Amino acid sequence: MIQGNKLLKILLPIGLLLMQSFIATAQQTVVDSSVLDRLNELEKKVASTKPGEDHVMIVGLATMGFATYKTTNTLNGTSTVTKGNSFPDADHFELSPMFLWRHGNKFLVEFEPSFSNNGLSVNWANVSWFAAPGLIIRAGYFVLPLGTYAKREAAGWINKLATDPMGVADMTPTDYGVEVSGGQPLGNMKFNYDFALTNGNQLQADGTITSGNIVDNNNNKTFTGRLGLLPFSNSSLEVGVSGMFGKVGDQGSEQLNTMAKVYAFDLNFVKLYKPILVNIKAQYNIQDIDKVYYTNPSDSSLYTFNNHTTAYFVQGSIRPTGAEGFIKNIELAGRYTSFNTPTNSSFGSDQHTITVGLNYWFSWRTVFKVTYESYKGNSTASKLLGFYSGTTTTNTLFIHFAIQL
Amino acid sequence: MKKIFVIVIVLTGFVFIALMNSCKVSQKVSMKTGAQLWAENCQRCHNTPSPSSFSPQQWETVGLHMQTRALLTDEERNKIVEFLKQ
Repeated sequence: MIQGNKLLKILLPIGLLLMQSFIATAQQTVVDSSVLDRLNELEKKVASTKPGEDHVMIVGLATMGFATYKTTNTLNGTSTVTKGNSFPDADHFELSPMFLWRHGNKFLVEFEPSFSNNGLSVNWANVSWFAAPGLIIRAGYFVLPLGTYAKREAAGWINKLATDPMGVADMTPTDYGVEVSGGQPLGNMKFNYDFALTNGNQLQADGTITSGNIVDNNNNKTFTGRLGLLPFSNSSLEVGVSGMFGKVGDQGSEQLNTMAKVYAFDLNFVKLYKPILVNIKAQYNIQDIDKVYYTNPSDSSLYTFNNHTTAYFVQGSIRPTGAEGFIKNIELAGRYTSFNTPTNSSFGSDQHTITVGLNYWFSWRTVFKVTYESYKGNSTASKLLGFYSGTTTTNTLFIHFAIQL
Repeated sequence: MKKIFVIVIVLTGFVFIALMNSCKVSQKVSMKTGAQLWAENCQRCHNTPSPSSFSPQQWETVGLHMQTRALLTDEERNKIVEFLKQ
Protein backbone atom coordinates (compact mmCIF):
# COMPACT_ATOMS: atom_id res chain seq x y z
CA MET A 1 0.00 0.00 0.00
CA ILE A 2 2.91 2.22 0.94
CA GLN A 3 4.59 1.27 -2.31
CA GLY A 4 1.30 2.12 -4.16
CA ASN A 5 1.19 5.58 -2.56
CA LYS A 6 4.80 6.24 -3.53
CA LEU A 7 4.11 5.19 -7.09
CA LEU A 8 1.06 7.48 -7.18
CA LYS A 9 3.16 10.40 -5.90
CA ILE A 10 5.65 9.82 -8.70
CA LEU A 11 3.17 9.19 -11.50
CA LEU A 12 0.71 12.01 -10.69
CA PRO A 13 3.09 14.91 -11.41
CA ILE A 14 4.26 13.16 -14.56
CA GLY A 15 0.66 12.74 -15.68
CA LEU A 16 -0.13 16.37 -14.93
CA LEU A 17 2.93 17.52 -16.86
CA LEU A 18 1.94 15.36 -19.80
CA MET A 19 -1.62 16.73 -19.75
CA GLN A 20 -0.33 20.32 -19.60
CA SER A 21 1.95 19.56 -22.48
CA PHE A 22 -0.93 18.08 -24.56
CA ILE A 23 -3.18 21.06 -23.78
CA ALA A 24 -0.41 23.56 -24.62
CA THR A 25 0.38 21.75 -27.88
CA ALA A 26 -3.30 21.70 -28.81
CA GLN A 27 -3.65 25.44 -28.10
CA GLN A 28 -0.49 26.17 -30.08
CA THR A 29 -1.88 24.32 -33.08
CA VAL A 30 -5.09 26.34 -32.92
CA VAL A 31 -3.15 29.63 -32.78
CA ASP A 32 -0.84 28.63 -35.65
CA SER A 33 -3.66 27.63 -37.96
CA SER A 34 -5.44 30.93 -37.28
CA VAL A 35 -2.31 32.93 -38.12
CA LEU A 36 -1.67 30.80 -41.15
CA ASP A 37 -5.23 31.36 -42.37
CA ARG A 38 -4.81 35.10 -42.01
CA LEU A 39 -1.45 34.97 -43.75
CA ASN A 40 -2.98 33.02 -46.61
CA GLU A 41 -5.74 35.61 -46.94
CA LEU A 42 -3.22 38.45 -46.97
CA GLU A 43 -1.09 36.66 -49.54
CA LYS A 44 -4.13 36.28 -51.77
CA LYS A 45 -4.92 39.98 -51.40
CA VAL A 46 -1.35 40.99 -52.15
CA ALA A 47 -1.29 38.68 -55.16
CA SER A 48 -4.48 40.24 -56.49
CA THR A 49 -3.00 43.76 -56.24
CA LYS A 50 0.53 42.84 -57.34
CA PRO A 51 1.88 45.50 -59.66
CA GLY A 52 2.73 44.19 -63.09
CA GLU A 53 5.52 45.47 -65.28
CA ASP A 54 3.06 47.63 -67.22
CA HIS A 55 1.38 50.71 -65.90
CA VAL A 56 -1.18 53.11 -67.34
CA MET A 57 -2.06 56.48 -65.91
CA ILE A 58 -3.76 59.71 -66.90
CA VAL A 59 -2.24 63.08 -66.10
CA GLY A 60 -2.45 66.21 -68.27
CA LEU A 61 -3.90 69.63 -67.59
CA ALA A 62 -6.97 71.84 -67.61
CA THR A 63 -7.03 75.63 -67.97
CA MET A 64 -9.86 78.11 -68.02
CA GLY A 65 -10.28 81.81 -67.65
CA PHE A 66 -11.73 85.19 -68.54
CA ALA A 67 -10.31 88.02 -70.63
CA THR A 68 -11.38 91.60 -71.11
CA TYR A 69 -9.68 93.81 -73.68
CA LYS A 70 -9.61 97.13 -75.45
CA THR A 71 -8.11 97.38 -78.93
CA THR A 72 -7.32 100.59 -80.80
CA ASN A 73 -6.46 100.37 -84.49
CA THR A 74 -5.13 103.42 -86.28
CA LEU A 75 -5.06 103.37 -90.07
CA ASN A 76 -4.51 106.46 -92.26
CA GLY A 77 -5.14 108.78 -89.31
CA THR A 78 -8.44 107.17 -88.34
CA SER A 79 -8.73 105.26 -85.09
CA THR A 80 -11.19 102.50 -84.33
CA VAL A 81 -11.73 101.28 -80.79
CA THR A 82 -13.05 97.82 -79.97
CA LYS A 83 -13.85 96.56 -76.50
CA GLY A 84 -14.79 93.05 -75.57
CA ASN A 85 -14.62 90.26 -73.09
CA SER A 86 -14.89 86.55 -73.25
CA PHE A 87 -15.56 83.80 -70.76
CA PRO A 88 -13.39 81.87 -71.30
CA ASP A 89 -11.02 83.63 -73.64
CA ALA A 90 -10.55 81.53 -76.75
CA ASP A 91 -6.82 81.01 -76.32
CA HIS A 92 -6.99 80.12 -72.67
CA PHE A 93 -9.33 77.20 -72.35
CA GLU A 94 -7.91 73.75 -72.62
CA LEU A 95 -8.67 70.28 -71.31
CA SER A 96 -5.85 67.94 -72.20
CA PRO A 97 -5.74 64.57 -70.47
CA MET A 98 -2.40 62.89 -71.12
CA PHE A 99 -2.31 59.12 -71.26
CA LEU A 100 0.94 57.46 -70.25
CA TRP A 101 1.56 53.76 -70.84
CA ARG A 102 4.74 52.35 -69.34
CA HIS A 103 6.03 48.94 -70.37
CA GLY A 104 8.56 48.06 -67.70
CA ASN A 105 11.24 50.70 -67.66
CA LYS A 106 12.10 50.59 -71.33
CA PHE A 107 9.06 51.84 -73.22
CA LEU A 108 6.70 54.75 -72.70
CA VAL A 109 3.74 55.73 -74.84
CA GLU A 110 2.54 59.33 -74.52
CA PHE A 111 -0.76 60.46 -75.99
CA GLU A 112 -2.34 63.82 -75.26
CA PRO A 113 -5.65 64.68 -76.92
CA SER A 114 -6.82 68.20 -76.32
CA PHE A 115 -10.16 70.00 -76.32
CA SER A 116 -9.63 73.72 -76.85
CA ASN A 117 -10.52 76.61 -79.13
CA ASN A 118 -9.30 74.41 -82.00
CA GLY A 119 -11.89 71.75 -81.16
CA LEU A 120 -10.53 68.28 -80.61
CA SER A 121 -6.89 67.89 -81.53
CA VAL A 122 -3.81 65.97 -80.48
CA ASN A 123 -0.85 67.63 -78.77
CA TRP A 124 1.43 64.61 -79.10
CA ALA A 125 1.30 60.86 -79.68
CA ASN A 126 4.54 58.93 -79.60
CA VAL A 127 6.50 55.96 -78.29
CA SER A 128 9.79 56.38 -76.44
CA TRP A 129 12.35 53.59 -76.08
CA PHE A 130 14.84 54.07 -73.26
CA ALA A 131 17.46 52.19 -75.22
CA ALA A 132 20.54 52.80 -73.08
CA PRO A 133 21.70 55.16 -70.34
CA GLY A 134 21.50 58.63 -71.85
CA LEU A 135 19.77 57.46 -75.02
CA ILE A 136 16.03 57.78 -75.65
CA ILE A 137 14.72 56.93 -79.10
CA ARG A 138 11.27 58.28 -79.88
CA ALA A 139 8.97 57.92 -82.87
CA GLY A 140 5.58 59.39 -83.66
CA TYR A 141 4.15 62.87 -83.31
CA PHE A 142 6.10 65.11 -80.93
CA VAL A 143 7.18 68.68 -80.17
CA LEU A 144 10.43 69.48 -81.96
CA PRO A 145 13.53 70.44 -79.97
CA LEU A 146 13.74 74.05 -81.07
CA GLY A 147 14.44 76.03 -77.93
CA THR A 148 12.75 74.93 -74.74
CA TYR A 149 9.61 77.05 -74.40
CA ALA A 150 7.20 74.88 -76.39
CA LYS A 151 8.52 71.60 -75.06
CA ARG A 152 8.95 72.41 -71.38
CA GLU A 153 7.40 75.73 -70.34
CA ALA A 154 4.18 76.26 -72.30
CA ALA A 155 1.77 74.15 -70.23
CA GLY A 156 -0.76 76.32 -68.44
CA TRP A 157 0.17 75.06 -64.97
CA ILE A 158 3.88 75.71 -65.68
CA ASN A 159 3.70 79.02 -67.55
CA LYS A 160 3.97 81.93 -65.10
CA LEU A 161 1.69 84.12 -67.23
CA ALA A 162 -1.68 83.53 -68.85
CA THR A 163 -0.35 84.11 -72.36
CA ASP A 164 2.38 82.56 -74.50
CA PRO A 165 5.19 84.77 -75.79
CA MET A 166 4.15 85.74 -79.33
CA GLY A 167 5.87 83.86 -82.11
CA VAL A 168 8.20 81.79 -79.96
CA ALA A 169 5.85 78.86 -79.45
CA ASP A 170 4.34 79.27 -82.94
CA MET A 171 7.77 78.87 -84.55
CA THR A 172 8.25 75.50 -82.80
CA PRO A 173 6.48 72.79 -84.76
CA THR A 174 4.99 69.54 -83.58
CA ASP A 175 5.75 67.03 -86.29
CA TYR A 176 5.86 63.38 -87.36
CA GLY A 177 9.22 61.61 -87.32
CA VAL A 178 11.93 60.10 -85.16
CA GLU A 179 14.04 61.62 -82.42
CA VAL A 180 17.06 60.69 -80.31
CA SER A 181 17.71 62.50 -77.06
CA GLY A 182 19.31 62.14 -73.67
CA GLY A 183 21.20 63.73 -70.83
CA GLN A 184 24.74 62.96 -69.71
CA PRO A 185 26.95 64.07 -66.82
CA LEU A 186 30.11 65.97 -67.66
CA GLY A 187 32.10 66.23 -64.45
CA ASN A 188 30.37 68.89 -62.37
CA MET A 189 28.37 69.92 -65.43
CA LYS A 190 25.69 68.20 -67.52
CA PHE A 191 24.79 68.36 -71.15
CA ASN A 192 21.80 67.17 -73.10
CA TYR A 193 21.07 66.58 -76.74
CA ASP A 194 17.90 66.25 -78.77
CA PHE A 195 17.95 65.52 -82.53
CA ALA A 196 14.91 64.90 -84.70
CA LEU A 197 14.22 63.98 -88.30
CA THR A 198 10.68 64.81 -89.39
CA ASN A 199 8.43 65.52 -92.37
CA GLY A 200 9.10 69.21 -91.92
CA ASN A 201 7.36 72.48 -92.54
CA GLN A 202 5.39 73.30 -95.68
CA LEU A 203 5.53 76.62 -97.50
CA GLN A 204 2.18 78.35 -97.91
CA ALA A 205 1.04 80.70 -100.69
CA ASP A 206 1.74 83.81 -98.60
CA GLY A 207 5.26 82.79 -97.48
CA THR A 208 4.31 81.46 -94.04
CA ILE A 209 5.02 77.85 -93.12
CA THR A 210 2.87 75.20 -91.47
CA SER A 211 3.88 72.11 -89.56
CA GLY A 212 2.47 68.84 -88.31
CA ASN A 213 1.70 67.38 -91.70
CA ILE A 214 1.25 63.63 -91.59
CA VAL A 215 2.02 63.39 -95.32
CA ASP A 216 5.24 65.07 -96.44
CA ASN A 217 4.96 67.57 -99.31
CA ASN A 218 8.39 66.64 -100.63
CA ASN A 219 11.02 63.91 -100.29
CA ASN A 220 13.27 66.04 -98.13
CA LYS A 221 13.22 65.51 -94.40
CA THR A 222 13.80 68.28 -91.88
CA PHE A 223 16.56 68.04 -89.29
CA THR A 224 16.04 69.73 -85.93
CA GLY A 225 18.60 69.59 -83.17
CA ARG A 226 19.33 71.16 -79.82
CA LEU A 227 22.35 70.99 -77.53
CA GLY A 228 21.94 72.11 -73.94
CA LEU A 229 24.58 72.72 -71.29
CA LEU A 230 24.10 73.02 -67.53
CA PRO A 231 27.43 74.47 -66.43
CA PHE A 232 26.81 74.45 -62.67
CA SER A 233 26.61 71.36 -60.48
CA ASN A 234 23.33 72.59 -58.93
CA SER A 235 21.63 72.65 -62.37
CA SER A 236 20.54 76.26 -61.80
CA LEU A 237 21.51 77.43 -65.28
CA GLU A 238 20.83 75.85 -68.66
CA VAL A 239 21.76 77.37 -72.00
CA GLY A 240 20.85 75.81 -75.29
CA VAL A 241 21.33 76.29 -79.00
CA SER A 242 19.02 74.81 -81.63
CA GLY A 243 18.66 74.67 -85.38
CA MET A 244 16.08 73.42 -87.83
CA PHE A 245 16.91 72.91 -91.50
CA GLY A 246 14.72 71.61 -94.28
CA LYS A 247 13.17 72.21 -97.68
CA VAL A 248 9.62 73.49 -97.49
CA GLY A 249 8.44 73.63 -101.11
CA ASP A 250 5.99 71.19 -102.67
CA GLN A 251 7.34 68.28 -104.72
CA GLY A 252 7.34 69.20 -108.41
CA SER A 253 6.83 72.91 -107.79
CA GLU A 254 9.22 75.75 -108.66
CA GLN A 255 9.66 76.29 -104.92
CA LEU A 256 10.77 72.71 -104.19
CA ASN A 257 14.29 73.73 -103.21
CA THR A 258 13.20 76.56 -100.93
CA MET A 259 15.04 76.11 -97.65
CA ALA A 260 13.81 77.17 -94.23
CA LYS A 261 16.46 77.66 -91.58
CA VAL A 262 15.43 78.36 -88.02
CA TYR A 263 17.78 78.97 -85.10
CA ALA A 264 16.97 79.32 -81.42
CA PHE A 265 18.96 80.27 -78.35
CA ASP A 266 17.49 79.59 -74.93
CA LEU A 267 18.40 80.34 -71.34
CA ASN A 268 16.88 79.12 -68.11
CA PHE A 269 18.06 80.20 -64.66
CA VAL A 270 16.30 79.12 -61.48
CA LYS A 271 17.87 79.58 -58.06
CA LEU A 272 16.73 80.05 -54.50
CA TYR A 273 18.16 83.14 -52.84
CA LYS A 274 16.56 82.50 -49.47
CA PRO A 275 13.72 83.15 -49.11
CA ILE A 276 13.14 84.21 -52.76
CA LEU A 277 13.06 81.77 -55.68
CA VAL A 278 14.31 83.65 -58.75
CA ASN A 279 13.29 82.36 -62.15
CA ILE A 280 14.60 83.83 -65.42
CA LYS A 281 13.76 82.42 -68.83
CA ALA A 282 14.59 83.67 -72.31
CA GLN A 283 14.52 82.45 -75.89
CA TYR A 284 15.52 84.04 -79.19
CA ASN A 285 14.24 82.55 -82.46
CA ILE A 286 15.42 83.50 -85.95
CA GLN A 287 13.74 82.12 -89.06
CA ASP A 288 15.01 82.56 -92.62
CA ILE A 289 13.22 81.21 -95.67
CA ASP A 290 14.83 81.50 -99.10
CA LYS A 291 13.60 84.42 -101.16
CA VAL A 292 11.04 83.23 -103.72
CA TYR A 293 8.13 84.73 -105.64
CA TYR A 294 4.56 84.61 -104.38
CA THR A 295 1.31 85.37 -106.14
CA ASN A 296 -0.83 88.31 -105.07
CA PRO A 297 -4.34 86.81 -104.69
CA SER A 298 -6.03 90.05 -105.75
CA ASP A 299 -4.50 90.40 -109.23
CA SER A 300 -2.26 87.29 -109.70
CA SER A 301 0.87 89.47 -110.00
CA LEU A 302 4.14 88.17 -108.55
CA TYR A 303 5.85 89.74 -105.57
CA THR A 304 8.73 88.86 -103.29
CA PHE A 305 10.16 89.90 -99.93
CA ASN A 306 12.96 89.05 -97.55
CA ASN A 307 11.32 86.22 -95.57
CA HIS A 308 13.03 86.86 -92.25
CA THR A 309 11.28 86.49 -88.89
CA THR A 310 12.52 86.96 -85.35
CA ALA A 311 10.83 86.34 -82.04
CA TYR A 312 12.18 86.58 -78.56
CA PHE A 313 11.13 86.93 -74.95
CA VAL A 314 12.75 87.62 -71.61
CA GLN A 315 10.79 86.61 -68.55
CA GLY A 316 11.46 86.95 -64.85
CA SER A 317 9.53 85.85 -61.80
CA ILE A 318 10.04 85.83 -58.07
CA ARG A 319 8.32 83.82 -55.35
CA PRO A 320 9.15 83.77 -51.64
CA THR A 321 9.08 79.98 -51.39
CA GLY A 322 11.23 80.12 -48.27
CA ALA A 323 8.77 82.33 -46.38
CA GLU A 324 6.06 81.14 -44.01
CA GLY A 325 2.31 81.29 -44.46
CA PHE A 326 0.21 82.81 -47.21
CA ILE A 327 2.97 84.86 -48.83
CA LYS A 328 4.97 81.83 -49.96
CA ASN A 329 2.16 81.02 -52.42
CA ILE A 330 2.35 84.42 -54.15
CA GLU A 331 4.41 84.89 -57.29
CA LEU A 332 5.16 88.00 -59.35
CA ALA A 333 6.06 87.62 -63.02
CA GLY A 334 6.91 89.91 -65.91
CA ARG A 335 7.85 89.37 -69.55
CA TYR A 336 8.87 91.36 -72.59
CA THR A 337 8.17 89.81 -75.99
CA SER A 338 9.08 90.92 -79.49
CA PHE A 339 7.85 89.34 -82.71
CA ASN A 340 8.85 90.75 -86.10
CA THR A 341 7.47 89.20 -89.25
CA PRO A 342 8.75 89.96 -92.79
CA THR A 343 8.54 93.53 -94.07
CA ASN A 344 6.68 93.92 -97.40
CA SER A 345 4.98 90.55 -97.06
CA SER A 346 1.21 90.24 -96.70
CA PHE A 347 1.57 89.73 -92.96
CA GLY A 348 4.59 91.85 -91.95
CA SER A 349 4.51 93.51 -88.56
CA ASP A 350 6.67 94.63 -85.66
CA GLN A 351 4.94 93.52 -82.49
CA HIS A 352 5.84 93.96 -78.86
CA THR A 353 4.14 93.03 -75.63
CA ILE A 354 4.78 93.81 -72.00
CA THR A 355 3.11 91.32 -69.71
CA VAL A 356 2.90 91.35 -65.93
CA GLY A 357 1.22 88.90 -63.62
CA LEU A 358 0.34 88.07 -60.05
CA ASN A 359 -0.14 84.38 -59.27
CA TYR A 360 -1.47 82.46 -56.32
CA TRP A 361 -0.36 78.83 -56.05
CA PHE A 362 -2.92 76.58 -54.34
CA SER A 363 -0.48 73.69 -54.63
CA TRP A 364 2.63 72.88 -56.63
CA ARG A 365 0.45 72.19 -59.68
CA THR A 366 -2.60 74.41 -59.26
CA VAL A 367 -2.43 78.14 -59.92
CA PHE A 368 -4.71 81.16 -60.18
CA LYS A 369 -3.24 83.92 -62.35
CA VAL A 370 -4.12 87.55 -62.92
CA THR A 371 -2.22 88.76 -65.97
CA TYR A 372 -2.18 92.14 -67.68
CA GLU A 373 -0.77 92.42 -71.18
CA SER A 374 -0.08 95.52 -73.25
CA TYR A 375 0.40 94.85 -76.96
CA LYS A 376 1.60 97.20 -79.67
CA GLY A 377 1.85 96.20 -83.30
CA ASN A 378 2.98 98.24 -86.30
CA SER A 379 2.12 96.78 -89.65
CA THR A 380 5.09 96.43 -92.01
CA ALA A 381 3.02 94.63 -94.62
CA SER A 382 3.23 95.77 -98.21
CA LYS A 383 1.36 99.01 -98.87
CA LEU A 384 1.69 98.46 -102.62
CA LEU A 385 -0.16 95.17 -102.36
CA GLY A 386 -2.78 96.63 -100.05
CA PHE A 387 -1.91 94.59 -96.95
CA TYR A 388 -0.84 97.48 -94.71
CA SER A 389 -3.07 97.53 -91.64
CA GLY A 390 -1.76 100.44 -89.54
CA THR A 391 -0.97 100.44 -85.88
CA THR A 392 -2.74 98.37 -83.26
CA THR A 393 -2.62 98.57 -79.49
CA THR A 394 -4.44 96.13 -77.25
CA ASN A 395 -4.60 96.03 -73.48
CA THR A 396 -5.96 92.84 -71.99
CA LEU A 397 -6.68 91.64 -68.47
CA PHE A 398 -6.67 87.86 -68.09
CA ILE A 399 -7.98 85.85 -65.18
CA HIS A 400 -6.70 82.34 -65.52
CA PHE A 401 -6.89 79.09 -63.60
CA ALA A 402 -4.67 76.13 -64.44
CA ILE A 403 -4.37 72.70 -62.89
CA GLN A 404 -2.26 69.69 -63.66
CA LEU A 405 -4.41 66.58 -63.74
CA MET B 1 26.95 75.58 -98.54
CA LYS B 2 25.75 71.99 -98.52
CA LYS B 3 29.34 70.75 -98.06
CA ILE B 4 29.86 73.09 -95.12
CA PHE B 5 26.62 71.87 -93.59
CA VAL B 6 27.69 68.21 -93.97
CA ILE B 7 31.14 68.96 -92.51
CA VAL B 8 29.58 70.75 -89.54
CA ILE B 9 27.21 67.83 -88.95
CA VAL B 10 30.04 65.26 -89.15
CA LEU B 11 32.30 67.28 -86.84
CA THR B 12 29.44 67.76 -84.41
CA GLY B 13 28.89 64.02 -84.53
CA PHE B 14 32.52 63.29 -83.67
CA VAL B 15 32.49 65.78 -80.81
CA PHE B 16 29.23 64.31 -79.63
CA ILE B 17 30.54 60.72 -79.66
CA ALA B 18 33.69 61.86 -77.85
CA LEU B 19 31.57 63.57 -75.21
CA MET B 20 29.32 60.53 -74.81
CA ASN B 21 32.31 58.27 -74.29
CA SER B 22 34.05 60.54 -71.84
CA CYS B 23 30.99 61.34 -69.76
CA LYS B 24 31.98 60.97 -66.15
CA VAL B 25 30.15 62.34 -63.20
CA SER B 26 32.15 64.12 -60.50
CA GLN B 27 32.14 62.76 -56.96
CA LYS B 28 30.43 65.98 -55.82
CA VAL B 29 27.51 65.29 -58.15
CA SER B 30 27.38 61.53 -57.65
CA MET B 31 27.07 62.01 -53.87
CA LYS B 32 23.85 63.99 -54.28
CA THR B 33 20.73 62.48 -52.75
CA GLY B 34 17.38 62.06 -54.48
CA ALA B 35 15.96 64.88 -52.37
CA GLN B 36 18.73 67.24 -53.49
CA LEU B 37 18.27 66.33 -57.14
CA TRP B 38 14.48 66.68 -56.79
CA ALA B 39 14.91 70.19 -55.37
CA GLU B 40 17.41 71.24 -58.02
CA ASN B 41 15.97 69.72 -61.17
CA CYS B 42 12.16 69.81 -60.94
CA GLN B 43 12.06 73.55 -60.32
CA ARG B 44 13.98 74.19 -63.54
CA CYS B 45 10.56 74.02 -65.24
CA HIS B 46 7.86 73.80 -62.56
CA ASN B 47 7.33 73.76 -58.81
CA THR B 48 8.82 70.83 -56.94
CA PRO B 49 6.16 68.10 -56.74
CA SER B 50 4.93 66.66 -53.49
CA PRO B 51 5.88 62.98 -53.05
CA SER B 52 2.31 62.30 -51.91
CA SER B 53 0.85 63.37 -55.27
CA PHE B 54 1.30 59.99 -56.90
CA SER B 55 1.71 56.34 -55.92
CA PRO B 56 5.12 54.61 -56.23
CA GLN B 57 4.04 52.97 -59.48
CA GLN B 58 2.83 56.28 -60.87
CA TRP B 59 6.12 57.96 -59.95
CA GLU B 60 7.94 55.33 -62.03
CA THR B 61 5.84 56.30 -65.03
CA VAL B 62 6.05 60.05 -64.38
CA GLY B 63 9.84 59.66 -63.99
CA LEU B 64 10.17 58.28 -67.51
CA HIS B 65 7.91 61.00 -68.90
CA MET B 66 9.91 63.73 -67.18
CA GLN B 67 13.17 62.27 -68.44
CA THR B 68 11.96 62.75 -72.01
CA ARG B 69 11.14 66.40 -71.25
CA ALA B 70 13.93 67.63 -68.98
CA LEU B 71 16.53 65.20 -70.40
CA LEU B 72 17.64 64.14 -66.94
CA THR B 73 20.51 61.68 -66.69
CA ASP B 74 19.50 58.12 -65.79
CA GLU B 75 21.08 58.42 -62.36
CA GLU B 76 19.16 61.62 -61.65
CA ARG B 77 15.88 60.05 -62.73
CA ASN B 78 16.42 56.93 -60.61
CA LYS B 79 17.38 58.87 -57.49
CA ILE B 80 14.54 61.39 -57.83
CA VAL B 81 11.95 58.64 -58.41
CA GLU B 82 13.24 56.64 -55.44
CA PHE B 83 12.94 59.75 -53.27
CA LEU B 84 9.41 60.47 -54.48
CA LYS B 85 8.33 56.89 -53.94
CA GLN B 86 9.13 57.05 -50.19
